[in-house]
Order: sequence, then C-alpha cells, then structure tokens
Amino acid sequence: MNARLEALISSAKQSWASEQASGRVRINVTLDTSSQAKGAATVIEKLQAAVAAKKLVADVGITGSWGFCWMEPCVTVRTAAGTQTVLYGNVTPERVDELIEKVAAGQDMPELALGVVEGNPTADIPLLSDHPFMQGQVRRLMANLGITDPENIDHYLAHGGYEGFGKSLELDAEAIVKEVLDSGLGGRAGGGFPAGRKWDFLRTATTSPRYLVCNADEGDPGAWVNRVLMEGDPHLIVEGMLIAALAGHADAGYIYIRYEYPLAFARMQKAVEQAYAKGLLGKDILGSGKDFEIVVFLGAGSYVCGEETGLINSIDSYRGMPRIKPPFPAQAGLWNKPTNVNNVESYANAPMIMRNGAHWWSSVSDAKEKGTKMFTFSGSVNWAGCVEIPFGPTIGEVIDRWCGGMRPGLELKGFQPGGPLSGIATANRDLTLTLDPYRELGMFLGGGGIVFFDQHTCTVDLCSYFLGFCEDESCGRCTTCHGGTQRAVEILRRIQAGGGRDVDFQNFQNLVTTLVWSNCFHGQFAMTTVKTAVKAFEDEWREHIFDKRCRAGVCQGLIDYRVRAPGDPALVEAADVCPTGAIVPDRSGYTIDDPRCIRCGACKEIAPNAIEVADRFAVSVAEGAAAGG
Amino acid sequence: MTAEPGVQELRELVAEFEPGRGHIMPALHKVQDTYGYITRTAIEVVARQLNTTPALIYGTVSFYSDFRTHPPAETEVAWCCGPACRVMGGDRIREALQQEFELPLNGQTPDHRIGLHIGQCNGTCSEAPQVWVNGEVVGNLTVTKAIRLARELKAGE
Repeated sequence: MNARLEALISSAKQSWASEQASGRVRINVTLDTSSQAKGAATVIEKLQAAVAAKKLVADVGITGSWGFCWMEPCVTVRTAAGTQTVLYGNVTPERVDELIEKVAAGQDMPELALGVVEGNPTADIPLLSDHPFMQGQVRRLMANLGITDPENIDHYLAHGGYEGFGKSLELDAEAIVKEVLDSGLGGRAGGGFPAGRKWDFLRTATTSPRYLVCNADEGDPGAWVNRVLMEGDPHLIVEGMLIAALAGHADAGYIYIRYEYPLAFARMQKAVEQAYAKGLLGKDILGSGKDFEIVVFLGAGSYVCGEETGLINSIDSYRGMPRIKPPFPAQAGLWNKPTNVNNVESYANAPMIMRNGAHWWSSVSDAKEKGTKMFTFSGSVNWAGCVEIPFGPTIGEVIDRWCGGMRPGLELKGFQPGGPLSGIATANRDLTLTLDPYRELGMFLGGGGIVFFDQHTCTVDLCSYFLGFCEDESCGRCTTCHGGTQRAVEILRRIQAGGGRDVDFQNFQNLVTTLVWSNCFHGQFAMTTVKTAVKAFEDEWREHIFDKRCRAGVCQGLIDYRVRAPGDPALVEAADVCPTGAIVPDRSGYTIDDPRCIRCGACKEIAPNAIEVADRFAVSVAEGAAAGG
Repeated sequence: MTAEPGVQELRELVAEFEPGRGHIMPALHKVQDTYGYITRTAIEVVARQLNTTPALIYGTVSFYSDFRTHPPAETEVAWCCGPACRVMGGDRIREALQQEFELPLNGQTPDHRIGLHIGQCNGTCSEAPQVWVNGEVVGNLTVTKAIRLARELKAGE
C-alpha cells in the first residue's frame, strides 16, 4: 500500500489505541439531527458540567447515530478500565445528573440501558446485539456509527478507513470498475442501475475534464438514510468518491446536499477539509500523481434537484430544472462534460467493496439485489429508526422486528414504499423488501424511506398531500406535469370537499396516461400514488365519490364534529382551546356552530367522550337510491 | 430594522465569486446568511459579479423555496408537511396554526413578529407530528398543544 497512507493509518490506529487505554471513563453522545431534536446539545453541556462537578476522570465525546432515532439522545458509557461499554437511550437533559451519579459510583443504569455494546452482559442489561432492533441487521455502512467521532478523520482511519482507496491506488481503472461490477452494486436511490456500468461510462469517455456528482439531495419525505450516513461517517462518502475518481479518471466531484440538512453539510465540509489537510484530496494525492478535488454544495429547497439533471443544472446553471435526455450526464453533464451521478449510499459502499472484495460484499444474502441497504421506518409504528439490512425481509418482519410493531390500537392499512412518486401499497405483510415486487405493482422501492399508515389515515387525503407536494415541486417545464398535478390536486380536493363525480376516475386515468409523457421522473411518476391507491383501495375511493363518506374520518367536507354529551365539563376547556370559537354554549351545555368549525379536532382531544366525528351525509347516495327505488 | 446593505458592501461580500464556476448558489447563500434575505440590490450586484442578468438571478432565487426576498419574521414557525407527520394528524395542526396566526402558509403577520411556512421533512420522524420554531424542533404535538404554542408565541412568551 501507498507508504504515506500506511503512515497515516498507523498513526491513527496508535492514537485510537491510546484513547482506548487512557484509563478514563468515556462518555459518547449521539450528535445528529434526530438527537439534536431531543436536546442532545444540552445533554453534552450538562454531561460536561456534571463530570467537572463530580471530578470524574472522564471524557465526553460525540458519535453518529445508532439508528435508535426514537430513543434519542443515546449515550454510551465505557468504564475506565475499558472492559465494558453500555448504550443508554432517552438520556434527556433531565436524566444526565442521575446517570453521572451512577457512573461516578461505578454503577450502571438499567432503566435507560439499551444493551451492552462491549463486554459481558449483566443481570439487568443484555447484550445490545440481542436487542430486537439490532437482530438481523448487518451493519457495514453503519459499522462506525455510535463508535467513532464523525468529525475526527483519525477515528475513520483507525477503523479501516481509506484502505479501500489504498488498494484502489494499486489497480488500474478497469480493474476497479470490474471489482464494482462483480459486486453487483446497484444504484441505491431506487433505480438499481449497476454502479460499475456507470463508472465504466465515465472511464471510457473521450473528453475531459470529467466530473463526479454525489446526489445527497435526499428529498423524499420520510427518508433520512443518507443524512444518518453523512452525519455519522462522512469520510465513507469522500473515500467512495475517491475510488470512483480513480475508476473514471475524474478530475473533480460535487457533493450536493439539501438545504434541510445543515449538520450533514457541516460534517461533509469538515471531512473534505480534513482529507485535504492529510493530502487525501487535491493535487498529487499522497504522492501518487493523481489529482482530485471535492466541492460540498448546498441546495436551497427544491425536490426536483434530486433528479440528476436538475441537480446538475442547479450547480452549473440557474434554475434547477431537469434537462431533456439524451444527452445523458455520462455524455454531457456538469458544464456539458462527462459526469457520473451516484447516490450517497452507492458511493459509500465502494470502500468496503475494494477493501474486502466483491465476493465478500455480495455474499451477504441470497437476494437478487446484492449487499446491504439502509432503511428508515416511520409512521404508525412504535419505533421510528434507521436500520441496515440485506434485501429480502417481508414487510411483516420489518414491522415486527425493526419497528417494534404497530402503535397501540392501530392496524396496518398500507405503506409508502419510498417517496411521493413511489406509490401506495396495501397492508400486504408478505411483500418483500426487494425491487421486483414493487415494479410488478407499478410502484418502486425508493431510496429507503418507508412510511406505514393505519386505519385513521385516508388514502384520498394521502394522495391529496402527495399530489400537492408534486405540484409545489414541479419545475414548470412540462405542461403535463405542472398543469397535470395542478388538475389532480383540484380534483382530489373537490372529492375531499364532497364534490366527487363519477367522471373523476376517468379524469385520473387521463392524467395517468398523459403525465407519463413528461420529461423527467417527477412528472412521469407524479400520478403513481393515485393510480396505485385507486386500485388498491377502490372501495374507499368509491365511498368518497359516490357515498360522500370518508371511513377514516379525515376528509373535511365529508365529516362533522358533533357534541354528543353537551353537559361534559371538559367542553369548557375545549371551547377555550377551539381556534375558531365554534364551540358555543346553548341551553343543554355546549354545541358546535358548524360553519365556524375547521375540523382541526382539538376539541376531541380535550373532550373525547363529548365530541364525536360523524359522517356529514347521514344517508349515503347508494342507500338513498336503494330506499327510493 | 437595520438598513439594507449598499452596493459597495454587497460587491465586497460577493467579490470571491466568479462566472461559469457554479458560484450562483454559493453567492446567494452568502448574501442570505449575512443579511437574512436577498435584497433587490443584491440580485443586481450578484448578476454583475457573475456576468449575467438580474432576471436570471431572480429566476434562480424564485425557483428555490429557501431563498427569501423579504426579511424573516422575528419568530419563524415551520410546519412539517412530511408523511409521518401527516399520518399522525399533522394536517389538522396546520389548519389550527393558520387559524390561530390568521396566516396562510408562507405568510407573515403585519408586524413581522410571526411567520408561518411549510417545512420539509428532515427525518426527525420519531417526533411526529412536529413544527420548528426558529429552527428548533417542537415535536410530539397534538392539535391542542399546537394551539397553545401558537397562543404563547402570539403573546410573546
């Protein structure tokens, strides 16, 4: 291996080893966007203060996410002797003093413990690997998460970091491409196109300069796998791009990060700066004669910039409008030069493919889709977290194992397999997490964000949301898309308001068949949710349109809030909270002044026994017709 | 409110940026990070610096939802429109917030004290349904909690 790289790695390993053998207690706090939302920054301050107050011989550090997003802030405590490390969850600022008391007394805190990371399990704390959430996971991309400090390049170097790049430096471009091709690594944003073939397009391009783009625009609401990776182990992406640069003879790379991810942006920037400082980026990298630059680029809020040519326009041009293909980015991308665009996770897999070989990488499961995939799960389930698993488990296993089951009282009604363009699937627990079953249903498994919903969710309302999103985010180039989504939203909102017509199914069909003519994925797939939901939940849609009834009690024009116990004392508070003053006194107590009611449901939260949601139209059209005829 | 920056000040601010090198967005971010929004003069100065027209720069600014051409309100409330929040009743929270603040989405009170926006999901879905108040997550909301939060913010608490 390159001697300079070897020196970097061995010095990093030494400093890691001396940290481990410091004889000091080590307390690490997960610091990412999810834990920040739960006060992790305050937890760190309080930990530092408590450590100082107790005169504890301890260091407080940070790590990336363990994936236990619903248990944040997560904290690991390693004993001074280094013999045991325990992971704690829900360590809110209020629990810090108690935890430090215990640590100072040489005790653990079983009530917050998620498991023993290193060392032997205790009577009260089992091994973390026995936690149901961890079982069945194969953590390769996430191997360092929870262990290393994402802002410290030495931590990365001490854990096999840049070894894959070191191996690649000794190979020619064709051999790197072959290794990635052999691995079977497919694009991780949902398309599954072989990464090795893309890299080969760049390798065999005839002009220069050549560019790499890392698509870190993860715009699908409900997906945060790329964020977890960038915030948790940013050097994986830098190293992956370095390997791709060697394979494709690329001169520079852009990492395009969405505006909503400021911490991921800061961490990636820091990682790139550190790589430059170590000579891993820039001119004559580690004396190899190779040059490669990386620019970390911040978006400004636009979903279509996640489309590869929209993203390219956003960097080198004005508005981030997707381009007309062909030419494809491989022929004419950034500044019309050959450009390879991959997702964060696609690049991040390259280091371990090069380090451990294609065979090792692909033999993790029997699924057609090779390697592991990160997923985030959210919605009506108990645990909203991030996992890394081989492709293949069923939706039922996913819910039972990694989501802790459905929330109490909720039944699975369906799920969104990956973003607002991906479709809406029914509660089929046997569907597997692989690409084909969704394709067969006219949907797709997207970048990894899966959202489950229950009987209180209305699929008409869900489509109204998704189409509203698609309308807002349409770039405006194609009439089919910007006009079509607008039309779809009008129709959906009319149905929700009680104005559904039988011709609406035909209207949807018309939109489905014309939006596919749009230039990019955004327009082409904008109607997928409606198309799949109408088919899968046909009864619900027919009820909305013909019976003016929303079984989930969501669509505003089809429901009424009514007082069924006018004397309930809770109504006094409900009347106070009601934002429109719709709960008014009458002779028997309170009643709802319907024209004022905006159906926000605050009153029902406060007075659940006094307020009911009822069908606005008591007799359905079908029943009425039957009675009359 | 502080006076809008002048031409000279803006020219110095964006002097590092060059035409044809992907500097439009970084230049606009720098202006917004510095002044909180992108002024008319800034659009003209950035256009000149990057050897293009104000129309094209304004076209860029208006394309992205996170570039602002007006100062932000003192308290910015961003309502998360994401699917996990939606499934947990987020849309009813939007109705209630709009009613309490008497604002449409992307509106601002006349005294510039409170602004209401759409916020895009960034994956803190374990907190659903949620809003951000000046960037800080306020999660696990109910409609009632959201209404009380809005009233506190209106009262200046």
